[in-house]
Amino acid sequence: MKKVIIYLNQFFGQVGGEEMADHAPEIREGLVGPGLELQKQLGDDFQATHTIICGDNFMGSNQEEAIETIKGFLEDKEVDFFFAGPAFRAGRYGAACGHFGRAVQKMFPEAVVITSMDEENPGVEMFRKDMFIFKGGASAAAMRKDIEAMAKFAKKLANGEEITTAEEEGYYGRGKRKQFFLNPPVPATERVIDMLLKKISGEPFETELPVPETNYVPVAPPVAKEKLSEATIAIVTSGGIVPVGNPDRIQSASATKWGKYDISGVDDLKAGEYQTIHAGFDPAAANADPDVIVPLDAMRQYEKEGKIKEMYKYFYSTVGTGTTQKEAARMGIEIAAELNEAGVDGVLLVST
Amino acid sequence: MKLELGNFYVKDIVFGQETVYKDGILTINKEEALQLVREDEHITEADLVIVKPGDMVRIVPVKEAIEPRYRMGGGPVFPGVTGDLMQTGNGRTLALKNMSVLAVGKHWGGFQDGLIDMGGEGAKYTYYSQLINVCLVADTDELKEQREQQKKNHALRWAGMRLAEYLGKTVAEQNPDEVETYELSPVTKRSEEEDKLPNVVIVLQPQSQMEELGYNDLVYGWDANRMLPTFMHPNEVLDGCIISGSFMPCSSKWSTYDFQNYPMIKRIYQEHGKTLNFLGVVMSNLNVALEQKERAALIVASMAKNLGADAAIVAEEGYGNPDADYTACLVALENAGIKTVGLSNECTGRDGASQPLVSMDAKADAMVSTGNVSEMIELPPMPVVIGELESLARDGLSGGWDNDAILGSSVREDGSIIMENNAMFCGDQVVGWSTKTMVEY
Repeated sequence: MKKVIIYLNQFFGQVGGEEMADHAPEIREGLVGPGLELQKQLGDDFQATHTIICGDNFMGSNQEEAIETIKGFLEDKEVDFFFAGPAFRAGRYGAACGHFGRAVQKMFPEAVVITSMDEENPGVEMFRKDMFIFKGGASAAAMRKDIEAMAKFAKKLANGEEITTAEEEGYYGRGKRKQFFLNPPVPATERVIDMLLKKISGEPFETELPVPETNYVPVAPPVAKEKLSEATIAIVTSGGIVPVGNPDRIQSASATKWGKYDISGVDDLKAGEYQTIHAGFDPAAANADPDVIVPLDAMRQYEKEGKIKEMYKYFYSTVGTGTTQKEAARMGIEIAAELNEAGVDGVLLVST
Repeated sequence: MKLELGNFYVKDIVFGQETVYKDGILTINKEEALQLVREDEHITEADLVIVKPGDMVRIVPVKEAIEPRYRMGGGPVFPGVTGDLMQTGNGRTLALKNMSVLAVGKHWGGFQDGLIDMGGEGAKYTYYSQLINVCLVADTDELKEQREQQKKNHALRWAGMRLAEYLGKTVAEQNPDEVETYELSPVTKRSEEEDKLPNVVIVLQPQSQMEELGYNDLVYGWDANRMLPTFMHPNEVLDGCIISGSFMPCSSKWSTYDFQNYPMIKRIYQEHGKTLNFLGVVMSNLNVALEQKERAALIVASMAKNLGADAAIVAEEGYGNPDADYTACLVALENAGIKTVGLSNECTGRDGASQPLVSMDAKADAMVSTGNVSEMIELPPMPVVIGELESLARDGLSGGWDNDAILGSSVREDGSIIMENNAMFCGDQVVGWSTKTMVEY
């Protein structure tokens, strides 16, 4: 018997609509709403024991607390399968499914985490590498179909059947490429000739090794040496330096947020006032002296010497580890727009 | 050039009084064969073992596979290697099909050596489980490299070739079961029908990464590290102008048998005159220095362009550092306006999440992929082991390890093994047999 736990938001958990979006996490024995359908689809080999319900906004603004609470709920539970959603195109719900799913996976490495989202749900890009996200419908009209897909896959796994490919199973690829014996077997020679003849004749063909798209940003022209003394310089970092307490609640990994922090009148980032929240490296050196990542002390010296005109009044920070290319690009565009607006001439881009 | 390959389909191999081939049965006088092996004084111990498809036998460390052949009218099977230089690819060569000679270390393996399971679930990982194999299991006095991870395996590889020539001679006076004919006119003397078709070259990138001589593939006996890309007739490859080397994780390697039977070349031949006009082979290499990579790609593209190629296939013997040559070559050909398809394996790591090739470029938009070198493979014990099982763990085979913090040793006490595909003998079959591909999970 496979033990199942389900996560739903306040709406599908039948607590209430948007007015209940601040609903704190709770766990109930038994099933609610979509959980009933899921249990029906899964059949007798699965037992959905509990339903976790959390408001979308509570999760959005108290993410760490919500995750910790749920981990507490699960401490004494058995989890073979964790189902979250389906979340359709609901962005906050999708993110919550992903965050909870990831936390549960970490806590129960052997468990299978399954959710479902529409392709435009930002949760897809954020979490596709962490769990099985099925290609779901845009709205609750697809509920039955989406649950069916999730359940079918879970049954397949429970029966020990071999899973084929993300494409065939119907979930978003997790970025894991593995070898696969074609059945029926088709030797590479046939595949090469087929691809070559199609390419020659201009017919569409499908490569077996897609090259990830890279959007190279042209490198900005450097600040001319003789103009450096007239230049305003800003510091942007993916090293996770923030004022102690992390006021913007930037995530320690897979960040989707950035923050900007006023450094007017600050000459040196002191231990105890600033810290790194980056989870991808040993933070000891950065916490002992945050200037090793945001070298404000050295830049202030240049300012005094007149080598540069001034430091821009804010530094910008986010976390680079696990952050998707898509999120990183969006944050970069947002930060660059502010810097352009403020007339900043040059940027010191500091990683870790 | 016109090459006739006269095929004899071997149904069984047995030991007997006389080395003779009759009605599909190859009989080997073991002592006579071993005397030939021992002509090299560096061979200290040697034995022959016959294995067949389905046998519950594990063979490791396998160093080389060779198809026994005989060159009609005389001459070495591998000119410049086992005898004097002569041009290959013209005339008739006889071949013993369904079988190979495997050179196997009695004890010592290395980075480049591999494993073959003849039966059970592991058999699917290598082409050679489908053949009847004569295993030459030997030890040598090459003490200098005995404990080295990188081995030239010279004595064993050359003994394997001598043995293949010796067995090939058995059919010298006989009529083959079948004759395969491979013929292409000079590129400027093609028929009107051929000239109308899209012109295609295949670019081969044989392994040549070692700076020191003795490890790399040899072209007419010449180390591929010391050559620039050159134009060749495909028949030359099919007829022994090139032998395999002794470097590169094993699943990515092309054995001498692979070169002799190069399925991708044979497949292009099938299309010749129908859907395409096969111009020939551009023989390149895979050297390590960036400038050498760039130079090779430049010359390949120039040669293909000036031969009038409209399309090309590029095949890479290796992964990692040589991916840079592979991608550079694909890009250079595309830049020259030549529509190109790549043929290689990938390294996506044990979890499948790593970048598939070290170097990638959007211009390489058509690639066939034959496997993941780092796929984890776990196999039960085999009742019989030929060679020495411990070599997989002890000797630095590219897919083995002796003491992983979590996984322990590749070779367990009960004889079961856990390894990366890397150590499967020529397992990714990049030459074209592979029915594996790569998919996203």
